Amino acid sequence: MNALLQVSGLRVAVGDKEILTGLDLSVRAGEVHAIMGPNGSGKSTLAHVLSGRDGYVVTGGSVSYLGRDLLAMAPEERARAGLFLGFQYPIEIPGVSNIYLLRSALNARRAARGESEIDAASFLRLVKEKARLMQMDESFLQRGVNEGFSGGEKKRNEVFQMAVLEPTLAILDETDSGLDIDALKVVSSGVNSLRNPERAFILVTHYQRLLDYIRPDFVHVLAGGRIIRTGDRTLALELEAGGYDQVLAAASQ
Amino acid sequence: MAQTTVQQGTRDQASAQTSNEPSARRPWLLAAERLRHSASGLDWLADRRAAALARVEHSGLPDTSQEDWRYTSLSGFTQRWADHLVATGPPSVPTGTDSPVPMSATWVTASMFTVDVVDGTLCAPLVGTPPGLTIRSLQQLTPEWQDRVEGLLGPTDGQADSSPPDSLVDLNTALLGDVLLIATDPGSCVNLPIHVRLQGTAAPALGQPRLLVDVGPGSQLTLSLEFTGSAGALVNAVTQVCLGRDSQLNLIRVQALPDDGMLTETTRIEVAESASVTVTSVDLGSQLSRQALTVLLAGTGASATVHGLFLADGHRHIDNRTRLEHQAPLTTSRETFRGIADDHGHGVFNGKIIVQPGAAGSNAALTNRNLLLTTTAEIDTKPELEIYVDDVRCSHGATTGQLDANALFYLRSRGLDPAAARQMLTAAFLRESLNGIAVPELRTRLEARLQARLQAGPGGEA
Repeated sequence: MNALLQVSGLRVAVGDKEILTGLDLSVRAGEVHAIMGPNGSGKSTLAHVLSGRDGYVVTGGSVSYLGRDLLAMAPEERARAGLFLGFQYPIEIPGVSNIYLLRSALNARRAARGESEIDAASFLRLVKEKARLMQMDESFLQRGVNEGFSGGEKKRNEVFQMAVLEPTLAILDETDSGLDIDALKVVSSGVNSLRNPERAFILVTHYQRLLDYIRPDFVHVLAGGRIIRTGDRTLALELEAGGYDQVLAAASQ
Repeated sequence: MAQTTVQQGTRDQASAQTSNEPSARRPWLLAAERLRHSASGLDWLADRRAAALARVEHSGLPDTSQEDWRYTSLSGFTQRWADHLVATGPPSVPTGTDSPVPMSATWVTASMFTVDVVDGTLCAPLVGTPPGLTIRSLQQLTPEWQDRVEGLLGPTDGQADSSPPDSLVDLNTALLGDVLLIATDPGSCVNLPIHVRLQGTAAPALGQPRLLVDVGPGSQLTLSLEFTGSAGALVNAVTQVCLGRDSQLNLIRVQALPDDGMLTETTRIEVAESASVTVTSVDLGSQLSRQALTVLLAGTGASATVHGLFLADGHRHIDNRTRLEHQAPLTTSRETFRGIADDHGHGVFNGKIIVQPGAAGSNAALTNRNLLLTTTAEIDTKPELEIYVDDVRCSHGATTGQLDANALFYLRSRGLDPAAARQMLTAAFLRESLNGIAVPELRTRLEARLQARLQAGPGGEA
């Protein structure tokens, strides 16, 4: 089976500093990958580069997504092709309601697939169903995007958007940071309910805690800008028990 | 003003002069001459007009050497007026007997009472004026209402309040053809929003609407003023508002003149004890628009809220000047002004808060946020505080910037193309200023218009 996402020897610099130093990663449909690593290892850079954010220079390697050259696509093209980034720090946009953004986003994807705009009744049904899934009050729909939301509400809103947009590949950048245990459960169950054989996830996280609720198929340790070790869920537990230092030391031998 | 070489006899020769000669710089002389010859039948106004004309003659119109007019030149305005006068010939003042057909149907709906004013003259008759409300033009004044109008116009020899003399107000008075009086009965709550459409045409050379709004003690009124017009419209509007004790006024002002329209506008609002006014000002159109809004918080506990919004795209020049003056104790003002400049547009904002010695315990806050969408656009902003008493809380701030790159990326990451993302953020920036509009229908329509304009660009749906 072909990979949904194939990252090969990816090297990325910010200014003069090389952050990713030859990263390889292969993600197939239906899989959940966790990428863990100490602060400054390049986790968020990877998430940003995959989503097309400005400010990063790719100095080597390639990224193929659904057989296309992902790095040649604009951020909105990536989104329309089914890639979703859950932000570590979701942006507040006063004056743009959640529901208006979602409808525009959904219709942009539909248009890219040659489909007509979703009708108002179906759209409303869809967002209400997904809001229930995320245990969000419907009043959130009319509020400005993340406007005045708490940290936990913002993260919940990211997963809610993901649920509505039904991506092919979701990259969640530290979605667990800043969540209390109840919010973590809601966010995790939202992600779990979206798992299916056609969809893949990349969870970027610093802590093992999230992986108690979302069970990954693969755990990768990112250090010094590349993946130094790959294992199954037990690798996360090992990290939790021994800390990154132990794993890094073992890898350097 | 360079007009010392003007000779006697100018008035008689004026109609034969070209635009390079003195009347081009002093078109009020010719306009006043024509007004004297028109049959207005309003002799009681003659002294007032003459005194105001003398003041205009003395002061001339403002020019860019004055600090308040640094960014806005009226030379094109004056030139066009002179050209119109020469081109149209007398009579130049509407008599009030015609009932011009309203030019653009905009917001006439069952949920608002609409009053049409064309070139300063009321299109009579009004049918079904809501209870508690009186609307009169000069032609319909009884002696009792005439006294009221004279009181609202202020003393014949100049300004009633502490504001400095204003040659644009004098100009309006000097050429006063009609007045629209809107008054509420004490204690009444007018149950329909009143929508006044002030339409300007090129026909009278310079339209000079004069509005007097008398909000009776304890009464409540929602009033929207919409400036519209046909090509070449030139307007010098003056609005004087008096709020009685414990009264409330929600005033919405929308400037939607055609792309070549020019407007100067002076609005003064005096707020008595425990009364409150909310002003929402929106500039969408015109080639040149200059608004000077003064709110005097004259009675204890009076309050004012001002929301402003302008869109200076294309080659528009939009200048807003607000002055909120706290004169009495425990007065409150809140002002938020937002502007967008795009293309070659130029926006100017000057917001001044003055707290007079008698205004202990007052509270004022002013914010101004601007968005520059291109490097060719310009916004000049200046918030000012003048405080003459301790024991007050005042804050002010102004920012001018571009669209937030993080927000743009966020929207693109959700699938919106850059143009749609920019437009969404721009509209959102403007929309926040409309939240103060208490008439949902008006707010919705304004939002739709803004949206359409941002999509179509200047010259599109206004």
